[in-house]
Amino acid sequence: MSHQSTQQQRIEALRDLLGAANVLIDQQSLTHFGTDWTRYYTPAPLAIVFPTCIADVQALVIYAAEHSLALVPSGGRTGLSAGAVATDGELVVCLDKLNTIDAFNPVDGTLRCGAGVTTGEIQSFAEREGLYYPVDFASSGSSQIGGNVATNAGGIKVVRYGMTREWIAGLKVVTGTGELLDLNRGLVKNNAGYDLRHLVIGSEGTLGIVVEVTVRLVNPPAPHSVMLMACPSMPAIIEVLKAARSTLTLNAFEFFSDKALDKVCEATGWQRPVQVESPFYALLEFEQSDADAAQNLYAAVASQHWASDAVMSQSIGQAQQLWAFRERISEIISHWVPYKSDISSVISKLPDMLAAIDEIVGRAYPEFEIVWFGHIGDGNVHLNVLKPEALDIQTFSERCGEVNTWVSEVVREYGGSVSAEHGIGLLKKSVLPYSVSPAELAIMRGIKASFDPHGIMNPGKIFD
Amino acid sequence: MKVLVAVKRVVDYNVKVRAKADGSDVDLNNVKMSINPFCEIAVEEAVRLKEAGTATEVIAVSIGDKACQEQIRTALALGADRGIQVETEGSVEPLVVAKLLKGVVEKEQPQLVILGKQSIDGDNNQTGQMLGALTNMPQGTFASEIAVDGDKLSVTREVDGGLQTLSLNMPAIVTSDLRLNEPRYASLPNIMKAKKKPLDVYSPADLGVEVTTHLTQVSVEPPAERQAGIKVESVDELVDKLKNEAKVI
Repeated sequence: MSHQSTQQQRIEALRDLLGAANVLIDQQSLTHFGTDWTRYYTPAPLAIVFPTCIADVQALVIYAAEHSLALVPSGGRTGLSAGAVATDGELVVCLDKLNTIDAFNPVDGTLRCGAGVTTGEIQSFAEREGLYYPVDFASSGSSQIGGNVATNAGGIKVVRYGMTREWIAGLKVVTGTGELLDLNRGLVKNNAGYDLRHLVIGSEGTLGIVVEVTVRLVNPPAPHSVMLMACPSMPAIIEVLKAARSTLTLNAFEFFSDKALDKVCEATGWQRPVQVESPFYALLEFEQSDADAAQNLYAAVASQHWASDAVMSQSIGQAQQLWAFRERISEIISHWVPYKSDISSVISKLPDMLAAIDEIVGRAYPEFEIVWFGHIGDGNVHLNVLKPEALDIQTFSERCGEVNTWVSEVVREYGGSVSAEHGIGLLKKSVLPYSVSPAELAIMRGIKASFDPHGIMNPGKIFD
Repeated sequence: MKVLVAVKRVVDYNVKVRAKADGSDVDLNNVKMSINPFCEIAVEEAVRLKEAGTATEVIAVSIGDKACQEQIRTALALGADRGIQVETEGSVEPLVVAKLLKGVVEKEQPQLVILGKQSIDGDNNQTGQMLGALTNMPQGTFASEIAVDGDKLSVTREVDGGLQTLSLNMPAIVTSDLRLNEPRYASLPNIMKAKKKPLDVYSPADLGVEVTTHLTQVSVEPPAERQAGIKVESVDELVDKLKNEAKVI
């Protein structure tokens, strides 16, 4: 039987399984649903399917297991490591239609919903109930809770609220054999054996398909203020962080370099927020009731010369504007097609790790502009190397391959992680061994084989 | 030249306001309060006059309970020299505010009074004009640009279809529009200095004003929720719905 007729048969079988309207094979859909925000890969899936209930997902997995058909789960496709990319005839399982908010339980403070509900919908639902879902990031309008679970999404409030993992009270997962696991069921305390829920969180779809999620909601935080502080060095920023953590209720502690601020001001025409130019800036968000403590903090760090100037928001609009200096960086520097790296270390080692990377890249390629920014309160920094205008993209890309190896070596030396929050996907497979030992990798493979004995769940992601 | 700037404490303009459950008022519990955006622009303009050497002293005045001292301190952090609070309870109507400000004007004798064109809570757009009438000072409302020339003040106003420029004799009153300037951020060193700047508190009686009310707030309710949209299958169906259901064609 020819390849083409096998494909045709499969598509017919999928139509029988889910209904013709829930199977898409037109080129535009294949391209649209077959990729995420990475854009480095050419999507080439077999088809896109839209299960409308959990039983549909189970039936799909059983069919895929019988026919050795690889499955790629697909949520909001806002990932940055090609975890949801289908490049090799896979079936993309799009969870858009599992999008109902099923149950809100005010006693337990939990919300149970389908995997296809967007993060933004959960935030709005919580707000209507006078509550708060604290995981937040730029793509919350499109990203889906199932994808948040699969990638253990972080974002901008991690200092205070942690990553998605902290907020998942229960999970329903379809494994690679089509079995449905009902994990943790909303419990606060549950020491009955291994917590498989936490294996699934961050597994990038390689263990199973998340079909239903129960999240915890909390009381909304008090109104906040934002302070932007000019700091002379990375060690100074760490000192400020140390002092701030003991005196303020921090929601966020971010930083960016002067080069990053330069690019933002140049592109937007905005005035620099502080008068004094400084190599680094720290952005602190804290509860407004801490405003006096924040002034004392500034006085204390300024007297040590860890900060040379600072401004504080007096309204929500100003707080948003100060955040915009940080949040616009990524989009604005995309003009220089940067090599990007999302790395972390324990906070105490960050200054030395950054200096080591600056030194090693600067020595080999002094013409490369390096832009640093990130969630320093979580030990997570984003390294961006900008392409010099004069250099062609091919050569730049080759040199970035080298840079990538050097950076990974430095990260290993400092005991850090080559992927702090973006996951591994396809994009970072080659650097995974810099953060994970052969023994760990062997256990990971074993875990995958337990969940997915036929190797059909998002194969080729994280490791081959 | 002395400049008096009025600042009001209001619900921050980015807050999605809710009505209280009993419909008596807007719910202010756990809500961010800020300086009224137009007042912030007024403060910035006064501070720029001082930085340019035109003004010698900038005084920020606010009317309200003790909490409004926070907004006076903000004005002081932005560069005002001293503050005045006129202590009142509950909400005060524009006419009372104008009378109280007139009392402050008589005490301080400023050459220029800058106010926001309106506050974003009541949206009355009355105080500046009423103060003009009560003090018999010339007024330039909705200013997008001002320039001092000796004892004259040139005020460019945003009017329908263009700009109008007035020349006023000082002392004068200006109300600020959105495009007059872009306010600065308060720097930490200035926020700390602001704590040490003088802030005088007056009662309405000190200014010879009796606080009266002419209005009673009957109820506050949120706007009707928007109905969800629907998808139509064909142009004919769309036309039918527009004609027979929406009755717009």
